[in-house]
Amino acid sequence: MAAHIFCDGVQRRDFLKVGAVTGFGLGLGLPQFLASASEGRVNPDAKGKSAIFVRLAGGPTHMDTFDLKPGAPDTHRGQFKEIKTNVPGIRFCEHLPKLAKVADKFAILRGVSHTLAAHALGTQYLMTGNRPLPSLRYPSYGAVVSKEIGGTKELPAFVAVPKQGNYPTGFLPVEYGPFETGATPTAGQAMQVRGLALRGITLDDVDRRKDMIAKYDQAFGGFAKEDKILAGMDEFSAKAYQMMRSTKAREAFDLTRESAGITRLFDDQPFSQSCLLATRLVQSGVKFVTLNLGGWDTHFDNWSKLKNTNLPALDAGLSGLFTSLEQKGLLESTSVFVTGEFGRTPKINKRTGRDHYPRAMFCLMAGGGMKGGQIIGESDAKGEAPKDRVISPDDVAASFMHSLGIDHHKEYHTPTGRPVMLVRDGTVIPELFS
Amino acid sequence: MKLFFPLIALAAFICGSALADGLKPAEQRFGGKIEDAESPSFRRHVVPLASKLGCSGRECHGSFQGRGDFQLSLFGYDFAKDHKAITADKEHRIRVNLNAPEESLFLKKPIGQVKHKGGDIYEEGSWEHNMMLKWIQNGAKLDVEETGVFERLEVFPEEFVANRIGETVQLKVLAYWKDGTVEDVTSFTRFETNDESVAVVSELGEVEIKGKGDSHIVAFYDNGVLPIPVMLPVSQLVGSKYPKIRASTPIDEAIATKLQKVGIIPSEVCTDQEFLRRVTLDVTGTLPTAEEVKSFLASRDKNKRHNKVNELLNRPAYAAWWATKINDFQGNSPAQLRINQYARKVNPSRDWYNWVYRRVSENRPYDEIVEGIVMGTSRSKPDQSYKDFVNEMASYFRRDNPVDFSKREDMPWFWARRNLRQPEEKAMAFAYSFLGVRIQCAQCHKHPFDQWTQSDFNSFKAFFEPIVYTGNGKGSDPDFSPKILQMELEKEAGYNREDPKQNRNRLLRSVADKRLANGEPIPWQEVYIKTPNKKKYTPAQIAKIKKRNSNFNARVITPKVLGGETMDVKYPDPRTPLVKWLRAEENPYFARAFVNRVWAHYFGRGLVEPADDLNLANPPTNAGVMTHLADGFVKSGFDMKWVHREILNSDAYQRSWKVNATNQHDDKNFSRYVIRRLPAEVAADAIRQATGSEQRVKELASNMEMRMIGATSIGGYRGNNNYMLGIFGKPVRENNCDCERTVDPTLLQTIFTRNDPEMLSQLSAKGGWIDELARRYKIKNGNNGIDRKKLGQHRVKLVATKKQLANLRANSPAKPGNSADASVLKKYKSELAAYIQREQALLRKVGYYQKKMAALTPKKSEPGQRVQLPEGVEDLITETFLRTVSRYPSNKEMESARADLEKSKNIVEGMQELLLALLNTKEFMVNH
Repeated sequence: MAAHIFCDGVQRRDFLKVGAVTGFGLGLGLPQFLASASEGRVNPDAKGKSAIFVRLAGGPTHMDTFDLKPGAPDTHRGQFKEIKTNVPGIRFCEHLPKLAKVADKFAILRGVSHTLAAHALGTQYLMTGNRPLPSLRYPSYGAVVSKEIGGTKELPAFVAVPKQGNYPTGFLPVEYGPFETGATPTAGQAMQVRGLALRGITLDDVDRRKDMIAKYDQAFGGFAKEDKILAGMDEFSAKAYQMMRSTKAREAFDLTRESAGITRLFDDQPFSQSCLLATRLVQSGVKFVTLNLGGWDTHFDNWSKLKNTNLPALDAGLSGLFTSLEQKGLLESTSVFVTGEFGRTPKINKRTGRDHYPRAMFCLMAGGGMKGGQIIGESDAKGEAPKDRVISPDDVAASFMHSLGIDHHKEYHTPTGRPVMLVRDGTVIPELFS
Repeated sequence: MKLFFPLIALAAFICGSALADGLKPAEQRFGGKIEDAESPSFRRHVVPLASKLGCSGRECHGSFQGRGDFQLSLFGYDFAKDHKAITADKEHRIRVNLNAPEESLFLKKPIGQVKHKGGDIYEEGSWEHNMMLKWIQNGAKLDVEETGVFERLEVFPEEFVANRIGETVQLKVLAYWKDGTVEDVTSFTRFETNDESVAVVSELGEVEIKGKGDSHIVAFYDNGVLPIPVMLPVSQLVGSKYPKIRASTPIDEAIATKLQKVGIIPSEVCTDQEFLRRVTLDVTGTLPTAEEVKSFLASRDKNKRHNKVNELLNRPAYAAWWATKINDFQGNSPAQLRINQYARKVNPSRDWYNWVYRRVSENRPYDEIVEGIVMGTSRSKPDQSYKDFVNEMASYFRRDNPVDFSKREDMPWFWARRNLRQPEEKAMAFAYSFLGVRIQCAQCHKHPFDQWTQSDFNSFKAFFEPIVYTGNGKGSDPDFSPKILQMELEKEAGYNREDPKQNRNRLLRSVADKRLANGEPIPWQEVYIKTPNKKKYTPAQIAKIKKRNSNFNARVITPKVLGGETMDVKYPDPRTPLVKWLRAEENPYFARAFVNRVWAHYFGRGLVEPADDLNLANPPTNAGVMTHLADGFVKSGFDMKWVHREILNSDAYQRSWKVNATNQHDDKNFSRYVIRRLPAEVAADAIRQATGSEQRVKELASNMEMRMIGATSIGGYRGNNNYMLGIFGKPVRENNCDCERTVDPTLLQTIFTRNDPEMLSQLSAKGGWIDELARRYKIKNGNNGIDRKKLGQHRVKLVATKKQLANLRANSPAKPGNSADASVLKKYKSELAAYIQREQALLRKVGYYQKKMAALTPKKSEPGQRVQLPEGVEDLITETFLRTVSRYPSNKEMESARADLEKSKNIVEGMQELLLALLNTKEFMVNH
């Protein structure tokens, strides 16, 4: 095997050797070796054991959600009023009444700031914690968690509801990619999730199929155990059946099995039901769930869209998520990160809308040992920029990783040999962990 | 083992005492009494030693932040910068103390006299310490000019073939300089092993054999990189003991030479059925059809393999699959291509694919294809006006009778990618795509494993500075410009700047799409070469521009090709000499990069691996094969099919995967076929073909528009969201790396083929083979015979009814207390009656839907029940095997299949299960 593929002298043969000793598919393959080769394994003392990432695609306006400016001039101030929350001193939009009752559960980061005003670039930045480069794709948090923490035998480590978007694994191997459900769950129904749901067949049928494949899959004889590709395929086959047969996996996707007390916390809209599903998945051992709530690109009619559609959905879903995680005793061990790709222009445009604005945005963080009921950072009087302290997406990413016990300065190597830190420029936000 | 005869011979020739001194070991030259020691050179001794000792490593002072306020260039090649860092530190002024050299921090740190985080590096009084001290005593001078140009390295022995584990050899490294100096630089050379399971090397250059196999030890000094082959044969069968192996082609001869040296016996040549499946999948990305397998196995033609290769290379699927592969290498990334702001029905990525497809199918020379891409300019003639340009663009995209873009002479989109805006990005992409060279590292520091320095990178980058991509309509006249066109669009769209309710982009898009369909002009972005800025700047002006643009560099760098001479760019287009250099016979990369990638495609591993990483430290595992193919490719006039044929007709390609005791661990000497998973698009097409009707199978062979290996898998600028292709590793083509395409198996892939609805629905879909059988045997098929739609409808109703029931029960009438008066009691009774009535009705409804659903759900077949197998069932079973694993079933398999079919619900369902099982075998999913 050739060597010298890494810029700094780490050589490819190193991990091949380790892989050869321990056997492909038996745990320590090539990527795992890379992980153990670099310093800093997952910190067992970290509170966060799994994570939920909520992506608000389109770029939600900070000025009309969690960072209202009642004192700003008409040109900037939105149409909504502030309401009190269950935490003295924290106030946010009147159309988030349910979240106002659980404001103690999550932290609001204000004045998060960057400079990339295009959807694709902003999304890549916020979903990886690294400012995008033209020739390098960073892995999403889900891929990192899937690599560092790994999954259980019965469920995939990383699930995206319904999809993850482009470049889910970046430069990491596809094996760390998300299991995409392809659909959102429907209230009161068992989700027929792709690949795992047994549609019209029974467990007996699954076993029959498994036996049948084994019968016809004899072409390579004993060599199947020697060859790493063939052995890997057999290993994955065994795992696949374990998942398909797993009652736990099936029940995780079956929302009808949820108690009435928990179900009641959500409305029957897709986002809310996705949040409910996320709590069930985390409960069953999934380590990372991506949820999506889009429609935030409000260049036009910002307030009517927010009031009628986006905010009620967000309010019901997130409040249900935080409350149910807590009731299930999972909030402490589940890190939640809610973000869009940027904020929106504080100055109202001619079309009663707001345009892309990365200089000031908000993020929400909860669980995983992160302290809720606080506001960190501040934007200036008109919401145009961070007031004093600038919180970068890198800092938020570093904190997210930190809550999960992952050293954000950990170094990976791209396949072309370039050493790359997980989140190079980030610093953990101390208030979240005080 | 060879002795140092050449060295001794060389020493005898050299008469000048200075040269002879240089051939002594460093310890003699620089150790002992310092007054008698030789005067060291900064470039030849100080920097290399600091590098070898690890001072300029990434963890130490080579880090981009430096360590302890002291930063050296990574891998030590920026002599001026390092000299400055060592001698001219502003804060301390004591790193080098010329008045009291011993007091220099530069010396006191490494010997631990002053606290050094990096620990003690050498001892006081050691030759290393002596040498550094002497350099300071002599004035700590920079001597890059004086030392001149480094020429080459020579290492003795040139090769190390060992007999046993534990055997050692000491390497000796000589450096040759252009000024005639020859020096023993063993002590200044960094050594690396390419495989420490074969051999390790000490800092001093002693090689020790660790295990069987072959690899290289690499020596690094100054700009020289030299790999030395080391090996321990894997068996006793070497030299005269090696059995006679047929070597029918030049490739096989070169491979046999190497195998004989390392004692590896190759596997047998594979069977006809293995060959047909393998070569069809590899060359055309397509499974052989059942008919093809039958006729190939039946043929008695002695030349049938040879003829099959030629036939496959003439199929449209070869052109489609190789256009896709070439698109991979060239980074045809749909998400990075957006050539029009408004028109959404434009797909430049497809145009690019079609352009390459046409040329591959016509077997145009590879250098000509590359020329068309590198020289790509949006205006098809040098003097084309903006008006003619937009009209020409319109002609490609109009609805009626569009002009075929693929017939254009050039293909400009290589330079139009959004991730190629900067000249350095263009340089890296160019080196990756056409040279198979990774120069990324040299953007910031000396390449650790190759000769490239930062200055090489910058000189190379200079070629790409003038290539620009904008929409400003260069040279357009005032009455026909992008601006005018936009205003026309706005007017047509009824756009009113004053109306805040209007969405300009949305309005313009609809008009643009309409115009496009009608063949009318809309504004386009374009690739062109800008005229160089000859302006001379004053320092004040430069400072001013730098404030705005920190990357601004007023120095004009003369372009220089990698590893070559600077070029006097008198050409109006700097790409002209670049292409000339590419196709020149002596170009060290262009032909090699391509043949190596073709080789990697057929063997799962390049002659140089990774296949896109040609560098000095990473030599081909078989240089003979590389030379034969690269030279032959150039000589053939860059005939791609020549390369394919040369490889496919070799025994090496046709080896079985079945191993013997000597080659079971061989993964780099091509003594056996290495099994690998089908690539994403090939797997998707194979499943489609194996499950397709007779008619569909024919269409898939001829219509490349239906194929994932062709145009179908190309997404738009929003990317490609095909789930299967994603989890099977189709590359997004944005990272300048062949590694983006992966063929590693993963769990999600297995779950997909076992149980994904997308997979299962293909089996029973209309237009499928099972559907055909269902009609033949008049059995309703699909989803195991379940009417899924109806089942779903019932389920929804059942759930809704149950919910109603739960609601009803939650609000059941409350029983009044004993003391309640009559009217309350009466009201309760009537409410209760209504409640019970309603509850009964709902319960009946629940029962009704449950019954309906049960009726639709398949019942288990009774134990012992047997399906009456139709006549000719053996043919059906045989066809299932031919369709999937491209071979006839064995007797045992035939019996098993019969038994399985008998146990199934009906023949069609049974066939569907058999097909699904075969599609899930490893034998189907890999090429072997």
